[in-house]
Amino acid sequence: MVPLEWYIWLATAVFAIGVAGFLTRRNIIIMFMSIELMLNAVNISLISFSYYLQDLRGHILSFFVITVAAAEAAIGLAIIISLFRNKATVHADEMNEMKG
Amino acid sequence: MLPQVLFLYFAFAIVALSLAVITRKNPVHSVIFMLVLFFHIAALYLTLNAEFLAAIQIIVYAGAILVLFLFVVLMLNLKEEVTEHRYISLWAVGVLLSIAISAIFLMTLSSIPLGAKGVFSPDVIASETHTVALGKLLYTEFLYPFEIASVILLVAIVGAVVLAKKRLKS
Amino acid sequence: MLIMPGGYVPIDYLPVLIFMVIASAFGLGALLVGSIFRPRRPYPEKLMPYESGNPPVGEPRYRFSIKFYIIAMLFVVFDVETVFLYPWAVVFDKIGLYAFVEMMIFIAILLVGYVYAWKKEAFKWD
Repeated sequence: MVPLEWYIWLATAVFAIGVAGFLTRRNIIIMFMSIELMLNAVNISLISFSYYLQDLRGHILSFFVITVAAAEAAIGLAIIISLFRNKATVHADEMNEMKG
Repeated sequence: MLPQVLFLYFAFAIVALSLAVITRKNPVHSVIFMLVLFFHIAALYLTLNAEFLAAIQIIVYAGAILVLFLFVVLMLNLKEEVTEHRYISLWAVGVLLSIAISAIFLMTLSSIPLGAKGVFSPDVIASETHTVALGKLLYTEFLYPFEIASVILLVAIVGAVVLAKKRLKS
Repeated sequence: MLIMPGGYVPIDYLPVLIFMVIASAFGLGALLVGSIFRPRRPYPEKLMPYESGNPPVGEPRYRFSIKFYIIAMLFVVFDVETVFLYPWAVVFDKIGLYAFVEMMIFIAILLVGYVYAWKKEAFKWD
């Protein structure tokens, strides 16, 4: 049996990579893809817990996570398009109008 | 032995592909790496006895969301991206934070209390198939989250049309 | 499916694995064999993008229209809706009228968004 810890380590690694990508990249589209990575890491841990506890509720939760990810991608990319239209850049560190 | 080998292959491939996604200069390459990554995650779901979710992972993530990403990458002309800096100047802080977060996760790992086992053993799922078992639960116990999901999707349609449609008028 | 002493192996999906291995091996093998046997004598005219003999005009990476985005976004949302329909269709005979009513509510709510997108002319190409 593959230990449950291995799956949690994998999910942690993917989540950490997502956090690192979100915090370090300048390109806002890559930042958005990092969010998708984090959501996938959560899905991996949910499904592995579900498998080890022999309960399908984790599968349903990750089903809803995928649904929300689809809605989030549609809205988020629309926001990126609006930002690009107003600022002509996709670099997050150049959007500093709110800076005091 | 075989399950461990399969897991190790998928784990190393997933980690390597995630690193490739966040480090590529060209966003199109990132999207392509992400496509391969999603296929590997779907295969990992198969080894966890979640075949319907593996199908959803490919249909929704690889088939729809990544196409959306690719359209946006191609829609915004990103020629200058290839030559400029990839990372913010304070990138070390971000890496440190991500290491700190994963350290917290791993430290709490030993204290996770695993509850009692449920009724959906692999034999039960095999006898009535994963999709039926999932559907029975989803359309009885998870009725309200399911209806709320439709509202979330409605918000996505309205929001994206409002945000992106302005351009067509001008 | 197959439960080995070491855990669970999705043996039913072995044909899918074989299919993917053969497909990618065929693609990579064709490229590899080609790169071994073809003569390689590059010169600037040969490396130019092929536009029926004319010199290339403009950028290869021109900007896509926003119309593609609107269509892709609507596809994503209704793709998720379709995914919810699969398990519903499978368990419909086991749950009955209850499942029918809840799915009709689900579709009605999404229909509001569909009508909205229609009225905002999101489906018009021009």
